[in-house]
Amino acid sequence: MKVLSLFAAAALAVSSFQMVQAADLTSADEIVKQANIASYYAGKDGRAEARMKIIDAQGRNQLRQFTILRRSRKPGGEQDLMVFFSRPSDVRNTVFRVVRHPGADDDRWLYLPGLDLVKRISAGDKRTSFVGSDFFYEDVSGRNPSEDNHKLLETAGEYYVLESKPVDPKSVEFVSYKSWISKATLLPMKVEYTDSRGKIYRTMEVVKVDTIQGHPTVLQAQISNLERGSKTLMQMRGVKYDIGLPQDIFGERSLRKPPQQWLKK
Amino acid sequence: MKQTITRFALEHSRTVYAVVLLVTLACMAMIPFLTIDTDPENMLREDDPARVFHNRVKQQFTMHDMIVVGAVNNSEQGIYNPTSLQALHQLSKGILELDGIVRSDQMSLDTVDNITQEGPGVIRFEWLMQDAPTTQQQSEQLRDAVNRLPMLANTLVSGDGKAAAIYVPVESKDESYRIAEEIRGIISSLQSQDDFHITGLPVAEDQFGVEMFIQMGISAPLAGLAIFMLMWMFFRSIPLVVGPMVVAMATVLITMGLLIGMGFTVHIMSSMIAIFLMPIAVVDSTHILSEFADRFRPGEDPKKVIIKVLDHLFTPMLYTTITSAIGFLSLMLTPIPPVRIFGAFIGFGIFLAFVLTIVYIPAYISRMKPESLESMQDAIHRLEGGGRLGRWLPKVGRMATGGRYAVLLVSLTLFAVSVVGITKIQINDNPVNWFKADHEIRVADRVLNDHFAGTYDAWLVLERPSGSASSKAFVDQYNKVISEAGKQGIDLIPLQITDETNLYEMATAIDDRLFSSSGLLEAGDEEIVWLEELLVLVEVQLEQSRVFQSPEVLSWISDLQDYLLSSDLVGKVNALPDVVRTVNRELQSGNDKDFRLPVTANGVAQALLQYQSSHRPQDLWHFVTPDYTSSLVWLQLTSGDNQHMTQVVELVDNYIARNPLPAGLEYGWAGKAYLNVIWQDAMVSGMVDSLLSSFAVVFVMMVLLFRSVKFGLLAMLPLTFTITFIYGLIGWIGKDYDMPIAVLSALTLGLSVDFAIHFLQRYRELRKEKENEVALAEMFEEPGRAITRNAIVIAVGFTPLLFAPLVPYITVGIFLASIMAASALVTLLLLPAILSSRVSGQVSGQALRSAS
Repeated sequence: MKVLSLFAAAALAVSSFQMVQAADLTSADEIVKQANIASYYAGKDGRAEARMKIIDAQGRNQLRQFTILRRSRKPGGEQDLMVFFSRPSDVRNTVFRVVRHPGADDDRWLYLPGLDLVKRISAGDKRTSFVGSDFFYEDVSGRNPSEDNHKLLETAGEYYVLESKPVDPKSVEFVSYKSWISKATLLPMKVEYTDSRGKIYRTMEVVKVDTIQGHPTVLQAQISNLERGSKTLMQMRGVKYDIGLPQDIFGERSLRKPPQQWLKK
Repeated sequence: MKQTITRFALEHSRTVYAVVLLVTLACMAMIPFLTIDTDPENMLREDDPARVFHNRVKQQFTMHDMIVVGAVNNSEQGIYNPTSLQALHQLSKGILELDGIVRSDQMSLDTVDNITQEGPGVIRFEWLMQDAPTTQQQSEQLRDAVNRLPMLANTLVSGDGKAAAIYVPVESKDESYRIAEEIRGIISSLQSQDDFHITGLPVAEDQFGVEMFIQMGISAPLAGLAIFMLMWMFFRSIPLVVGPMVVAMATVLITMGLLIGMGFTVHIMSSMIAIFLMPIAVVDSTHILSEFADRFRPGEDPKKVIIKVLDHLFTPMLYTTITSAIGFLSLMLTPIPPVRIFGAFIGFGIFLAFVLTIVYIPAYISRMKPESLESMQDAIHRLEGGGRLGRWLPKVGRMATGGRYAVLLVSLTLFAVSVVGITKIQINDNPVNWFKADHEIRVADRVLNDHFAGTYDAWLVLERPSGSASSKAFVDQYNKVISEAGKQGIDLIPLQITDETNLYEMATAIDDRLFSSSGLLEAGDEEIVWLEELLVLVEVQLEQSRVFQSPEVLSWISDLQDYLLSSDLVGKVNALPDVVRTVNRELQSGNDKDFRLPVTANGVAQALLQYQSSHRPQDLWHFVTPDYTSSLVWLQLTSGDNQHMTQVVELVDNYIARNPLPAGLEYGWAGKAYLNVIWQDAMVSGMVDSLLSSFAVVFVMMVLLFRSVKFGLLAMLPLTFTITFIYGLIGWIGKDYDMPIAVLSALTLGLSVDFAIHFLQRYRELRKEKENEVALAEMFEEPGRAITRNAIVIAVGFTPLLFAPLVPYITVGIFLASIMAASALVTLLLLPAILSSRVSGQVSGQALRSAS
């Protein structure tokens, strides 16, 4: 499964009425699969304006503001994603382009206007910082559910509580993570990561959820790095689903020439 | 008054015993609350501007205290081989598991990122050494990667490829010793033939604290024992030895107990208080006991004798007490807190020893059994014979008076030579050198600094002047937008600014409102338009304030880096331009031609945005603040010597004088090496003040005591010669003038004047009745022996210091013994030589007659 994410945020849940379960799910893998869809595949396409407020241990801020466009080729399947930065002004018009291939490495590109440069980013480690924030690239694009083994710990309250351990422990910095997935929305509301010393060193908490066009959508979420003492609050506004984004705006051409009509509210 | 005190002590001996015991016990009870302080930073007051700046910089750039662990492989292939790298990997992982370290900031081959080209147009970010290499080929690939990363080369792996380092940031430097011990534990479990070393200032300081603590527990009792044994040798009488020892013990325990109880930390200097006080405290009570035994005849009332003895000795003892104490109290004029505390408490201890002597010793004698009194007397009469001292001291006297011109000539020559030596004194200190040359910390320091660019840090901080006010035109333009929004019914009043508003924070506030992070409601569409207008205005201002994105400014820094490296004084300079150029190279072609700064500020910002997209985004903030208004240039130095740092500061000053800082920037220094320079400078000027003022006070006291300027001057001679001689010696042998050496000047003054007082006092008494020559000859009988004995007792009391494992203790031990020897010699040779010359003899005779 994956944890929140930008897209959890931009959250395009599959239609929400399907998700309100009459009876509790009992399979960990099924819960994770549905949580992934709730977090990253709401609507056929969608758009959101987002900003990250990165707060370091001394309380100093940095801001990142960007617009996300997303289009799923099919629910839970391949997905196109573009991130257009608008703030701070020195990185304005920087663009990330991602093509998600569930079960395989994503394709990633980068456009840096200040250097007039389009660069492909090698597949490789996805647990690196997303533009200096406490979010990992993987928190934004979604972690493939099959990369971890999941175990259902509790179903008693309003959350499914799961413990997940990586299939390949060397590929990640955590030993396990525990997630609290809402039974009502199937959105992960809290995740705690544990390191080799058994200490929780990183947490994700959803601060605000709203239902938009029938999709429960994370509007505010925070990731805290307890080791560094830093945290990043991500906030969404202007979330819209099913706006009819054409497939052809997700090409390389849009890196240098952003599709302005779709970026405006 | 002195009789009243003595009578009281004699009549209430039980009360005196009880009070001394109770006060001592009460003060001892506070000793367990002892806290050791070995932080050289505390040599400066907490509000010292240099220290305040240092701590601000440390916080601003999240610079932690670092333990440096080094692995050295001197074989031909060096550290880049699978076995060494696997051990290093295992060690680094092991250290990450320890408590008390800042995990996210540990710097090691396995915790840092690599940025490379993966084929044309593809960039790759990954851990530099996620797994340790298993083949030689992989090891060599790692070497090539490291050599392409200027931030890491010669910092994580030495330039010669023989050594690798792990930089372990610690949460609190007070835990460095424990962490270093745990790291040693991991090292001992490694399968590796490499040599491992641990260094870094926090380890040195903390380890020093541990060893100092042990040292205090050993040296002070040893000094006590040495004095006890020596006194036994001289007097062969238990009561003659026990009385003074009780005074010494009580003085030391009460003084240390009070110091700790009053909440002062025990610093390197104050850890020596016990050792300083013990010999000083013994001397007065020995005087009383010898004179008592001398005058006492069996059958007499001991109480009457003791009253007479004290009546006779009170004034000279008070004077020597005051002069010794003044030497130490003058240390309170220095601007260095630990030295002031040291001086204050020793000064107090000297007075306490005096009070204990005049109160406790009479009580002690009054409670002695007749047999003890008798055995004590026997001991004194044995001493009358004089023993070895009695045989050769008169020869010394004849030499001094007979060969007076030779003595004067030699003294003057030595004085002149010493003055030249003083001009050669090198002022220098380095906390690592507080360990002996073969200590593992010194060895580690030497080995690692041999291989690497340097384990000592100095930070040059460049910044926009604080309080750069916004222009009035901008403030008006901005606030006008708010008032226009108000006319449209949109209330943006809370976002108004003045010329002093921090625009970086204001931009955050506007953005917060855009995303309604504080309120529940999202900003309405109407409002967003106004907020965006404000934000765009502020952004233009912020772009101008982000000076460290400017290619022009970065290029100035880069030129400075090149200049510093070409000087041989600096091992390596790490700064923001290195980061920007490395990322730019990999973003572009990956070839060396692209190892350059982008042309525009936005290009710089975007390269840095990529640098932040790593496993360690926080690393950027060690070199620049998030608002890009301050930047830190990290200099690695191969020594922690103050002189080295001072040269670097001058180098930079000169460079900036010739190449002015761009964009109105200001600069300042931080880092421990720099702080050491500051307090050393303060110490030197402080010591001059302290020495001159106590010299003047002692001189005035001598004139008062002898009621003669001539005798006052004579009394100052031995200490003047001794101080000149000792510091001349330091200059000639090239021993660095460091803190313990500096403090010794005050000591010399206080102690060596004592000998002169005793000598001149006795000489004057004898001269009233006898011819000059006879008087001088008699000076080398009992008075000469007393002076020599005291000098030996004090000198020997300090000898346990010679066996200390820590250099400052050894320094103090050696120099105190030399001071004692030199001032006793000068007193016994130079004073008689001067006094025996005819003119002087007549003058002093006249002075005496007119005084009496």
